[in-house]
Amino acid sequence: MTELRELAKKLLAEGAAKVVIGWEEGPRGVRPAFATDAAAADRLVFDARCAHDLAPYLDRRRVHVAKLGRPAVVVKPCDARAVAGLIRETQVKREDVVLVGVRCGGVLADPEAGGTLSADTIADRCRTCDSRETALADHVVGTPVEPLAAPSRRDARVAELDAMTPAQRWAFWQGELARCTRCNACRQVCPLCYCDRCMADKTQPQWIESSPHGRGNLSWHLLRAIHLAGRCVDCGECERACPSGIPLGLITRKVASVVADRFGHKPGDDPAVPSPIGTWRSDDPQEFIL
Amino acid sequence: MEGTATATGFEPRITAFVCNWCTYTGADLAGTSRLQMAANTRIVRLPCTGRIDPAFVIKAFERGADGVIVSGCHPADCHYTAGNYHARRRFAVLRELLSFMGVDERRVTFSWVSASEGAKWRDVVNGAVERVRECGPFESYRALAGGV
Amino acid sequence: MARIGVFVCHCGENIGRTVDCHAVAEALGQVPGVAHAVDYKYMCSDPGQQLIKAAIAEKQLTGVVVAACSPHMHEKTFRRAASSAGLNPFTCEMANVREHCSWIHEDRASATAKAIDLSRMMVEKVKRNVPLSTIRIPVTRRALVIGGGIAGIQAALDIADGGAEVVLVEKAPSIGGHMSQLSETFPTLDCSQCILTPRMVEVYQHPRIRLMSWSEVESVEGYIGNFKVTIRKKARGVDEDKCNGCGACTRACPNKRIPSEFDCGLGKRPAIYVPFPQAVPNLPVVDRARCTLLIARSKGKKDACMKCVEACQRGAIDFEQKDRFVTEEVGAIVVATGYQLYEIGRDQGGRKDLHGYGEYGYGTIPDVIDGMQFERLASASGPTAGRILRPSDGREPRTIVFLQCVGSRDPAKGIEYCSKICCMYVAKHAMLYRHKENGGRAVVFYMDIRAAGKGYDEFTRRAIEEEGAEYVRGRVSRMYRDGDVIKVVGFDTLGGEPFGVDADMVVLATAMRPQPGIESLAQKLSVSYDRHGFINEAHPKLRPVETNTAGVFVAGACQAPRDIPDSVSMASATASKVLGLFSNEMLEREPTVARVDAAICAGCFHCERVCPYGAVTHMEVKDRQGNVLKVVADVNPGVCQGCGTCVATCPSKSVELQGFTDEQVWAQIQAFLG
Repeated sequence: MTELRELAKKLLAEGAAKVVIGWEEGPRGVRPAFATDAAAADRLVFDARCAHDLAPYLDRRRVHVAKLGRPAVVVKPCDARAVAGLIRETQVKREDVVLVGVRCGGVLADPEAGGTLSADTIADRCRTCDSRETALADHVVGTPVEPLAAPSRRDARVAELDAMTPAQRWAFWQGELARCTRCNACRQVCPLCYCDRCMADKTQPQWIESSPHGRGNLSWHLLRAIHLAGRCVDCGECERACPSGIPLGLITRKVASVVADRFGHKPGDDPAVPSPIGTWRSDDPQEFIL
Repeated sequence: MEGTATATGFEPRITAFVCNWCTYTGADLAGTSRLQMAANTRIVRLPCTGRIDPAFVIKAFERGADGVIVSGCHPADCHYTAGNYHARRRFAVLRELLSFMGVDERRVTFSWVSASEGAKWRDVVNGAVERVRECGPFESYRALAGGV
Repeated sequence: MARIGVFVCHCGENIGRTVDCHAVAEALGQVPGVAHAVDYKYMCSDPGQQLIKAAIAEKQLTGVVVAACSPHMHEKTFRRAASSAGLNPFTCEMANVREHCSWIHEDRASATAKAIDLSRMMVEKVKRNVPLSTIRIPVTRRALVIGGGIAGIQAALDIADGGAEVVLVEKAPSIGGHMSQLSETFPTLDCSQCILTPRMVEVYQHPRIRLMSWSEVESVEGYIGNFKVTIRKKARGVDEDKCNGCGACTRACPNKRIPSEFDCGLGKRPAIYVPFPQAVPNLPVVDRARCTLLIARSKGKKDACMKCVEACQRGAIDFEQKDRFVTEEVGAIVVATGYQLYEIGRDQGGRKDLHGYGEYGYGTIPDVIDGMQFERLASASGPTAGRILRPSDGREPRTIVFLQCVGSRDPAKGIEYCSKICCMYVAKHAMLYRHKENGGRAVVFYMDIRAAGKGYDEFTRRAIEEEGAEYVRGRVSRMYRDGDVIKVVGFDTLGGEPFGVDADMVVLATAMRPQPGIESLAQKLSVSYDRHGFINEAHPKLRPVETNTAGVFVAGACQAPRDIPDSVSMASATASKVLGLFSNEMLEREPTVARVDAAICAGCFHCERVCPYGAVTHMEVKDRQGNVLKVVADVNPGVCQGCGTCVATCPSKSVELQGFTDEQVWAQIQAFLG
């Protein structure tokens, strides 16, 4: 913690960054922090409650952050993959941001509840994550950590769903999606949903009906998953932000497995590696095509 | 097999999104060869499978289609060199995603039909109609509109 | 408010038999926005077209749907008709109720229902059609030809004779290519130099051809009609303006023991040299790696030799010369970079899947040579003045074995294609040898003889039947040196027994491969190439000299193995394409191209990554003070071919394909399904 605070103060003092984006204590656990001076930098924290992906704050469209000036951002390995995505897609220039990598052993499934990290309390995505620090960062802080091995509950659930009949899966998802209020929190927190105008807000034609009902809800979640195919970094923010508790992680996890199986791609923190949708190989599997 | 609007009670409605250069021309050839096929499909002609957005497929189901066909040029035959390769990746994901969300895989048919494969186009159409017939009307998707 | 006219064609009985055309017209008449709906026996006939034109005028139609045959059949016809009646041609569409309906269904009720659906779908599309105008792009009426072999020479001359300017770039010191190395040409046995040299001189003297030898294409920007090409003029070491080609420098150079590239290593040349006497331009070039002076300078030593400088009376030698870059603006590019021969040894210059023919002793047995070396021996201007002599001892060989298909048609060695010219030149070699060496034995090992071409089969037959060449069908398994002779061991597959010859010389007919570096040139031009490096044509039958990049054409052996007549034909074909392109000041293109809405584009450039044509560029959106607000995608309509892959890829739907917009597709889906 001291290491992180000292680095943040140094970056601010030397002018390498005008704002250090990290986490600080808030009324309900930790919250994103925007430290522009030494005092604020001294409040920065990093522990297993720091689940928030801070990469979205690098988006130039978030003017309140942009006007603070050149940012340094604290990134877990998953957040670094998001930053790599933004660099790859020309939303952020690598040289315009200082990346402070934190060594990460996983975050809590329920960061607001707090508590210690255990095989029981760890977020599901961290159970299958094999990166402890990122090579993309300018600075890496924290102590090396051992991964907490635990089987993924989402993978088990995806396998259960795969084993069902289409009608049963349909019933399951309709039950879940019926709770969607189209609040767009999933879109707002997603580091890679940055469009100036989302396809869902297009009206001529309106591909996705905007009111919360079955038809539009299904279209929204289908097209969101399609757009994130091969790009989703599994930061888990969509599911964590969903006020209706829809298991969006099952969808992103499923698509990620399709992308991995078919195209041999796993989103990483190297911006030079292209996204698998938008590239191709002449021998891509096509067993489903007559 | 011939299409009839009334004989069996359920006549699937199938939207076909096809590329202009291979499959549309192959379907033309099926016509000039007088190959009889089910009358359940309606073709939407597009320049290339690369132009076919997954949103088209979803929209077709939203509007009440019982099945969808997506068809274009064989690999290496694309008029635009690579549109079909991009489409192939896109639809590989769409197909598994739809299935995961509960859409029966038999409702979506993907095929490569070249300009010389009139008979293949007939088989693709008849096969798709047959599979969708097995699935029955896509009432569950149509029912989603109930809320509006 | 749309006022659409619907015209339902019976096509005689073709549609009318299974589709109730009148019912279709009546049903369409009820569709909102349809102002006029009729059926008629033959819409494509003159009276049929008149019907459409009259209705456009009388009913003030804003769009037309013709429910008839395939748009591939008559879209142009009806768009022309609509256009002549004052409508924008792109507001006319066809519903395919013949190929896609009446011809494939027998049940009248369902066929009629489908025809109504198909027509309604088109009506809904046409309601959303916007008038489009043909895209007009200015054309720079100037062509670049890359490669100065016979194909490039022919293309350059034909284009220049057609009235356009040509920049001809050749990477070697002289134009002429491989043809200038040949002795005689099949099937007429006329002297290669005699027919080529006048063409080379013509290039040099042509007022509209700008020749740049010892130069290479460095980079290419732009698109059809508007390319900007940067050419690297390699340092010659000789001032082109001062040199008069007297040859004093080459005579003065003391280092005359360098193997000559032109003579395939069989002859020697100095360190400052003109590759061959008829070279065009007749300008020497300094071999920087072998010049004694430059070697000394590179090691920081003092100048060791100034013989050429002293010999040159015009002070043209300039060792300080650097590579220079010139930029040329051209409207079309012809790629004619030609071929190289398969390297018989084990190393194939970067191609790991090619294994070479080490067992044939090329490079270790001096009297095993390749076909091009034989050409140099047979050439009157060659190192032996036209006498066939063994490189090892200068003796006249009494028996020569010729092996066909060395490299070609051998997937195990990495090349499965036929090199096309070898059957012919081997027959020629056997004949030339027999003419020059009375009583000498010419033995040819072949897989089969491919002599398709005018006078070609007659030529090979003449070699066998009249000129006494011995043809043995079979492959050679082993070759080794035994004293003075080369033992050639093979199998005669027609005789069904082993076959052996004691040869004095062996000539290998090696495969044709594209020039080294073709891939990087192809990438600069964004044209595609096959796994061997041959440039891909746009269509193997119908567009054989075009590439997938508009405005870039291909001629000669860089596209596939070609002989001289093929290369020349292709070159003239490219010239006709180029001149056709140049025949208008403005280039007209179909307006079905992608357009970006800069206001909503997020600048993720997924579109750029999927575009097969490199049509997407970056555009800065600025405020009034000139500050860059954001960088967005922009589609160059001159390059875009209208596939629409970018549109389907764009996450925010900020790109549209004109003529096939999302709104139009949506409307068609809804018109069918409700």
